[in-house]
Amino acid sequence: MLDGATVLRVIGSALVCLGAFAAVVSAIGFHRFKNFYLRLHASTVGTIWGTVYALVGTALISLTIEEFGATKWFIFGNIIVTAILVFLLGSAGSHTLARGVHKARVARVQPCVADKLDPELCG
Amino acid sequence: MYSHAWQTSSILSYVGEKMIPGETLHYLVMAVTALISVVATYMAITEKDLLKAVIFSALQSGMYAILYFLLLAPDILLVYIPVAVGLIPGVLIVLISKTERWEKE
Amino acid sequence: MLEFVIIGGIIAYTIGIALLSVIAVKGPTIGDQVLAIDTITYFTLVIFSLLAILLKQSLLTVTLIPLALWVYALDVYVSKYLISGDLGA
Repeated sequence: MLDGATVLRVIGSALVCLGAFAAVVSAIGFHRFKNFYLRLHASTVGTIWGTVYALVGTALISLTIEEFGATKWFIFGNIIVTAILVFLLGSAGSHTLARGVHKARVARVQPCVADKLDPELCG
Repeated sequence: MYSHAWQTSSILSYVGEKMIPGETLHYLVMAVTALISVVATYMAITEKDLLKAVIFSALQSGMYAILYFLLLAPDILLVYIPVAVGLIPGVLIVLISKTERWEKE
Repeated sequence: MLEFVIIGGIIAYTIGIALLSVIAVKGPTIGDQVLAIDTITYFTLVIFSLLAILLKQSLLTVTLIPLALWVYALDVYVSKYLISGDLGA
Protein backbone atom coordinates (compact mmCIF):
# COMPACT_ATOMS: atom_id res chain seq x y z
CA MET A 1 0.00 0.00 0.00
CA LEU A 2 2.74 2.46 0.91
CA ASP A 3 4.27 2.39 -2.52
CA GLY A 4 6.26 5.34 -3.82
CA ALA A 5 3.94 5.76 -6.78
CA THR A 6 0.81 5.68 -4.63
CA VAL A 7 2.11 8.32 -2.22
CA LEU A 8 3.01 10.66 -5.09
CA ARG A 9 -0.35 10.07 -6.71
CA VAL A 10 -2.29 10.89 -3.52
CA ILE A 11 -0.31 14.07 -2.87
CA GLY A 12 -0.70 15.19 -6.49
CA SER A 13 -4.44 14.53 -6.53
CA ALA A 14 -4.89 16.44 -3.26
CA LEU A 15 -3.06 19.46 -4.68
CA VAL A 16 -5.14 19.39 -7.89
CA CYS A 17 -8.39 19.23 -5.91
CA LEU A 18 -7.23 22.17 -3.78
CA GLY A 19 -6.46 24.14 -6.93
CA ALA A 20 -9.83 23.39 -8.48
CA PHE A 21 -11.66 24.52 -5.34
CA ALA A 22 -9.59 27.73 -5.22
CA ALA A 23 -10.41 28.46 -8.87
CA VAL A 24 -14.17 28.38 -8.24
CA VAL A 25 -13.76 30.50 -5.08
CA SER A 26 -11.70 33.06 -7.00
CA ALA A 27 -14.20 33.31 -9.84
CA ILE A 28 -17.09 33.84 -7.42
CA GLY A 29 -15.02 36.40 -5.52
CA PHE A 30 -14.65 38.56 -8.63
CA HIS A 31 -18.41 39.06 -8.66
CA ARG A 32 -18.79 39.74 -4.95
CA PHE A 33 -16.11 42.39 -4.52
CA LYS A 34 -17.13 45.93 -5.20
CA ASN A 35 -14.18 47.80 -6.72
CA PHE A 36 -10.99 47.12 -8.62
CA TYR A 37 -8.60 47.24 -5.66
CA LEU A 38 -10.49 44.52 -3.78
CA ARG A 39 -10.59 42.28 -6.85
CA LEU A 40 -6.79 42.07 -6.73
CA HIS A 41 -7.21 39.77 -3.72
CA ALA A 42 -9.45 37.41 -5.70
CA SER A 43 -7.03 37.40 -8.62
CA THR A 44 -4.08 36.52 -6.41
CA VAL A 45 -6.00 33.60 -4.89
CA GLY A 46 -6.66 32.33 -8.40
CA THR A 47 -3.05 32.74 -9.46
CA ILE A 48 -1.21 31.21 -6.51
CA TRP A 49 -3.61 28.69 -4.95
CA GLY A 50 -5.33 27.92 -8.23
CA THR A 51 -2.38 27.71 -10.62
CA VAL A 52 0.94 27.19 -8.85
CA TYR A 53 -0.23 24.47 -6.47
CA ALA A 54 -2.21 22.69 -9.19
CA LEU A 55 0.77 22.70 -11.54
CA VAL A 56 3.04 21.21 -8.86
CA GLY A 57 0.40 18.54 -8.22
CA THR A 58 0.17 17.75 -11.93
CA ALA A 59 3.93 17.38 -12.16
CA LEU A 60 3.92 14.90 -9.27
CA ILE A 61 1.11 12.91 -10.91
CA SER A 62 2.99 12.72 -14.18
CA LEU A 63 5.96 11.06 -12.50
CA THR A 64 3.92 7.97 -11.66
CA ILE A 65 2.43 7.11 -15.03
CA GLU A 66 4.48 4.33 -16.59
CA GLU A 67 3.07 4.61 -20.12
CA PHE A 68 5.09 7.75 -20.77
CA GLY A 69 8.36 5.89 -20.45
CA ALA A 70 11.38 8.15 -20.28
CA THR A 71 9.52 11.29 -21.35
CA LYS A 72 7.90 11.61 -17.94
CA TRP A 73 10.98 13.57 -16.84
CA PHE A 74 10.48 15.94 -19.77
CA ILE A 75 6.89 16.65 -18.74
CA PHE A 76 7.90 17.02 -15.10
CA GLY A 77 10.60 19.57 -15.94
CA ASN A 78 8.36 21.62 -18.23
CA ILE A 79 5.57 21.90 -15.68
CA ILE A 80 7.93 22.77 -12.80
CA VAL A 81 9.55 25.55 -14.86
CA THR A 82 6.09 26.88 -15.74
CA ALA A 83 5.07 26.84 -12.07
CA ILE A 84 8.15 28.87 -11.07
CA LEU A 85 7.51 31.36 -13.89
CA VAL A 86 3.85 31.82 -12.93
CA PHE A 87 4.84 32.26 -9.29
CA LEU A 88 7.20 35.10 -10.18
CA LEU A 89 5.35 36.78 -13.03
CA GLY A 90 1.79 36.63 -11.72
CA SER A 91 2.41 38.90 -8.77
CA ALA A 92 4.61 41.28 -10.77
CA GLY A 93 2.00 41.67 -13.50
CA SER A 94 -0.91 42.46 -11.21
CA HIS A 95 1.26 44.90 -9.23
CA THR A 96 2.14 46.75 -12.45
CA LEU A 97 -1.51 46.89 -13.46
CA ALA A 98 -2.57 48.25 -10.05
CA ARG A 99 0.10 50.98 -10.18
CA GLY A 100 -1.02 52.01 -13.67
CA VAL A 101 -4.70 52.13 -12.76
CA HIS A 102 -4.10 54.13 -9.57
CA LYS A 103 -1.84 56.71 -11.23
CA ALA A 104 -4.20 57.26 -14.14
CA ARG A 105 -7.22 57.54 -11.81
CA VAL A 106 -9.24 55.05 -13.83
CA ALA A 107 -10.86 53.29 -10.87
CA ARG A 108 -12.22 55.05 -7.78
CA VAL A 109 -11.97 53.67 -4.27
CA GLN A 110 -15.68 53.47 -3.63
CA PRO A 111 -16.27 52.67 0.10
CA CYS A 112 -13.30 54.76 1.19
CA VAL A 113 -12.00 56.02 4.53
CA ALA A 114 -8.68 57.64 3.55
CA ASP A 115 -6.30 57.53 0.61
CA LYS A 116 -2.99 59.15 1.50
CA LEU A 117 -1.31 58.60 -1.86
CA ASP A 118 -3.87 60.65 -3.76
CA PRO A 119 -6.55 62.33 -1.66
CA GLU A 120 -8.68 63.21 -4.67
CA LEU A 121 -9.54 59.59 -5.36
CA CYS A 122 -11.27 59.06 -2.04
CA GLY A 123 -15.02 59.74 -2.04
CA MET B 1 -3.73 9.94 -33.77
CA TYR B 2 -6.42 12.47 -33.03
CA SER B 3 -9.38 10.18 -32.36
CA HIS B 4 -7.17 7.48 -30.88
CA ALA B 5 -5.90 9.86 -28.22
CA TRP B 6 -9.44 10.77 -27.23
CA GLN B 7 -10.76 7.21 -27.32
CA THR B 8 -8.15 5.69 -25.04
CA SER B 9 -9.31 7.99 -22.28
CA SER B 10 -13.01 7.26 -22.47
CA ILE B 11 -13.50 6.32 -18.84
CA LEU B 12 -17.01 7.67 -18.90
CA SER B 13 -18.01 4.57 -20.86
CA TYR B 14 -18.33 2.67 -17.61
CA VAL B 15 -21.09 4.96 -16.36
CA GLY B 16 -24.36 3.07 -16.58
CA GLU B 17 -25.10 0.64 -19.37
CA LYS B 18 -24.51 2.69 -22.48
CA MET B 19 -21.17 3.89 -23.72
CA ILE B 20 -20.57 7.64 -23.41
CA PRO B 21 -17.62 8.34 -25.68
CA GLY B 22 -14.66 10.32 -24.42
CA GLU B 23 -15.24 13.00 -27.01
CA THR B 24 -18.16 14.37 -25.02
CA LEU B 25 -15.90 16.33 -22.68
CA HIS B 26 -13.94 17.49 -25.73
CA TYR B 27 -17.04 18.89 -27.46
CA LEU B 28 -18.34 20.45 -24.23
CA VAL B 29 -15.18 22.50 -23.63
CA MET B 30 -14.98 23.43 -27.32
CA ALA B 31 -18.61 24.60 -27.31
CA VAL B 32 -18.17 26.80 -24.23
CA THR B 33 -15.04 28.50 -25.55
CA ALA B 34 -16.48 28.99 -29.04
CA LEU B 35 -19.56 30.70 -27.61
CA ILE B 36 -17.43 33.03 -25.49
CA SER B 37 -15.27 33.92 -28.50
CA VAL B 38 -18.33 34.80 -30.61
CA VAL B 39 -19.64 37.12 -27.88
CA ALA B 40 -16.20 38.73 -27.50
CA THR B 41 -15.92 39.32 -31.26
CA TYR B 42 -19.31 41.04 -31.37
CA MET B 43 -18.40 43.27 -28.44
CA ALA B 44 -15.07 44.17 -30.05
CA ILE B 45 -16.73 45.37 -33.23
CA THR B 46 -19.49 47.50 -31.68
CA GLU B 47 -17.39 49.23 -29.03
CA LYS B 48 -16.65 52.94 -29.18
CA ASP B 49 -13.77 52.99 -26.70
CA LEU B 50 -10.89 51.58 -28.70
CA LEU B 51 -8.84 50.42 -25.71
CA LYS B 52 -11.71 48.17 -24.63
CA ALA B 53 -11.90 46.85 -28.19
CA VAL B 54 -8.24 45.80 -27.97
CA ILE B 55 -8.97 43.97 -24.72
CA PHE B 56 -11.93 42.15 -26.28
CA SER B 57 -9.69 41.12 -29.15
CA ALA B 58 -7.16 39.69 -26.70
CA LEU B 59 -9.95 37.74 -24.96
CA GLN B 60 -11.09 36.30 -28.29
CA SER B 61 -7.52 35.27 -29.09
CA GLY B 62 -7.26 33.48 -25.76
CA MET B 63 -10.38 31.47 -26.58
CA TYR B 64 -8.93 30.58 -29.98
CA ALA B 65 -5.75 29.38 -28.27
CA ILE B 66 -7.87 26.89 -26.29
CA LEU B 67 -9.52 25.70 -29.49
CA TYR B 68 -6.17 25.15 -31.21
CA PHE B 69 -4.98 23.14 -28.24
CA LEU B 70 -8.07 20.93 -28.24
CA LEU B 71 -7.43 20.12 -31.90
CA LEU B 72 -3.97 18.82 -30.86
CA ALA B 73 -1.86 21.34 -32.84
CA PRO B 74 0.94 22.60 -30.57
CA ASP B 75 3.03 24.13 -33.36
CA ILE B 76 0.20 26.41 -34.54
CA LEU B 77 -0.50 27.32 -30.92
CA LEU B 78 3.13 28.29 -30.29
CA VAL B 79 3.00 30.76 -33.19
CA TYR B 80 -0.51 32.02 -32.46
CA ILE B 81 0.10 32.99 -28.83
CA PRO B 82 2.85 35.62 -29.29
CA VAL B 83 1.13 37.13 -32.29
CA ALA B 84 -2.41 37.38 -30.99
CA VAL B 85 -1.95 37.90 -27.24
CA GLY B 86 1.31 39.84 -27.18
CA LEU B 87 2.21 41.65 -30.38
CA ILE B 88 -1.17 42.58 -31.87
CA PRO B 89 -2.40 44.35 -28.68
CA GLY B 90 1.00 46.03 -28.39
CA VAL B 91 0.93 47.38 -31.93
CA LEU B 92 -2.73 48.41 -31.62
CA ILE B 93 -2.03 50.30 -28.37
CA VAL B 94 0.80 52.21 -30.08
CA LEU B 95 -1.67 52.99 -32.87
CA ILE B 96 -4.41 54.33 -30.60
CA SER B 97 -1.90 56.37 -28.63
CA LYS B 98 -0.93 58.20 -31.78
CA THR B 99 -4.33 58.75 -33.36
CA GLU B 100 -7.53 58.74 -31.31
CA ARG B 101 -8.98 56.76 -28.44
CA TRP B 102 -12.71 57.40 -28.82
CA GLU B 103 -14.21 56.46 -32.15
CA LYS B 104 -16.48 59.14 -33.51
CA GLU B 105 -19.58 58.56 -35.59
CA MET C 1 -9.45 6.84 -9.83
CA LEU C 2 -6.92 9.22 -11.33
CA GLU C 3 -9.10 10.06 -14.34
CA PHE C 4 -11.95 11.22 -12.11
CA VAL C 5 -9.70 13.74 -10.39
CA ILE C 6 -8.39 15.07 -13.69
CA ILE C 7 -11.80 15.34 -15.34
CA GLY C 8 -13.27 16.98 -12.22
CA GLY C 9 -10.43 19.48 -12.28
CA ILE C 10 -11.03 20.30 -15.94
CA ILE C 11 -14.75 20.89 -15.32
CA ALA C 12 -14.03 23.11 -12.28
CA TYR C 13 -11.54 25.27 -14.18
CA THR C 14 -13.97 25.59 -17.11
CA ILE C 15 -16.66 26.84 -14.72
CA GLY C 16 -14.10 29.37 -13.42
CA ILE C 17 -13.35 30.58 -16.95
CA ALA C 18 -17.03 30.93 -17.81
CA LEU C 19 -17.74 32.95 -14.63
CA LEU C 20 -14.73 35.20 -15.13
CA SER C 21 -15.51 35.99 -18.75
CA VAL C 22 -18.70 37.75 -17.62
CA ILE C 23 -16.48 40.31 -15.85
CA ALA C 24 -14.18 40.50 -18.87
CA VAL C 25 -17.09 41.45 -21.12
CA LYS C 26 -19.12 43.61 -18.76
CA GLY C 27 -16.69 45.04 -16.17
CA PRO C 28 -17.09 48.66 -15.17
CA THR C 29 -13.49 49.73 -15.71
CA ILE C 30 -10.66 48.73 -18.01
CA GLY C 31 -8.58 47.47 -15.09
CA ASP C 32 -11.19 44.87 -14.13
CA GLN C 33 -11.22 43.52 -17.65
CA VAL C 34 -7.45 43.15 -17.95
CA LEU C 35 -7.29 41.48 -14.53
CA ALA C 36 -10.00 39.02 -15.56
CA ILE C 37 -8.15 38.16 -18.78
CA ASP C 38 -4.97 37.63 -16.76
CA THR C 39 -6.71 35.12 -14.48
CA ILE C 40 -8.50 33.43 -17.41
CA THR C 41 -5.12 32.82 -19.04
CA TYR C 42 -3.68 31.23 -15.92
CA PHE C 43 -6.67 28.90 -15.61
CA THR C 44 -6.27 27.99 -19.29
CA LEU C 45 -2.70 27.03 -18.53
CA VAL C 46 -3.80 24.51 -15.90
CA ILE C 47 -6.45 23.03 -18.24
CA PHE C 48 -3.74 22.54 -20.88
CA SER C 49 -1.46 20.70 -18.51
CA LEU C 50 -4.25 18.42 -17.24
CA LEU C 51 -5.30 17.61 -20.80
CA ALA C 52 -1.72 16.79 -21.78
CA ILE C 53 -1.65 14.08 -19.12
CA LEU C 54 -5.12 12.80 -19.99
CA LEU C 55 -4.38 12.42 -23.71
CA LYS C 56 -0.92 10.90 -23.13
CA GLN C 57 0.85 13.35 -25.46
CA SER C 58 4.05 14.72 -24.05
CA LEU C 59 4.69 17.45 -26.64
CA LEU C 60 1.71 19.52 -25.54
CA THR C 61 3.53 20.81 -22.46
CA VAL C 62 5.84 23.11 -24.40
CA THR C 63 2.94 25.47 -25.06
CA LEU C 64 2.59 26.46 -21.41
CA ILE C 65 5.59 28.75 -21.07
CA PRO C 66 4.77 31.32 -23.84
CA LEU C 67 1.25 31.78 -22.45
CA ALA C 68 2.59 32.79 -19.05
CA LEU C 69 5.17 35.16 -20.51
CA TRP C 70 3.00 36.98 -23.03
CA VAL C 71 0.14 37.71 -20.66
CA TYR C 72 2.66 39.46 -18.42
CA ALA C 73 3.72 41.51 -21.45
CA LEU C 74 0.07 42.50 -22.04
CA ASP C 75 -0.15 43.76 -18.45
CA VAL C 76 2.97 45.89 -18.94
CA TYR C 77 1.65 47.37 -22.24
CA VAL C 78 -1.70 48.40 -20.74
CA SER C 79 -0.07 49.86 -17.63
CA LYS C 80 2.45 51.88 -19.66
CA TYR C 81 -0.31 53.26 -21.85
CA LEU C 82 -2.43 54.30 -18.86
CA ILE C 83 0.44 56.07 -17.08
CA SER C 84 2.18 58.02 -19.78
CA GLY C 85 -0.23 58.03 -22.70
CA ASP C 86 2.16 56.59 -25.22
CA LEU C 87 4.14 53.44 -25.53
CA GLY C 88 7.46 54.85 -26.53
CA ALA C 89 7.57 53.79 -30.18
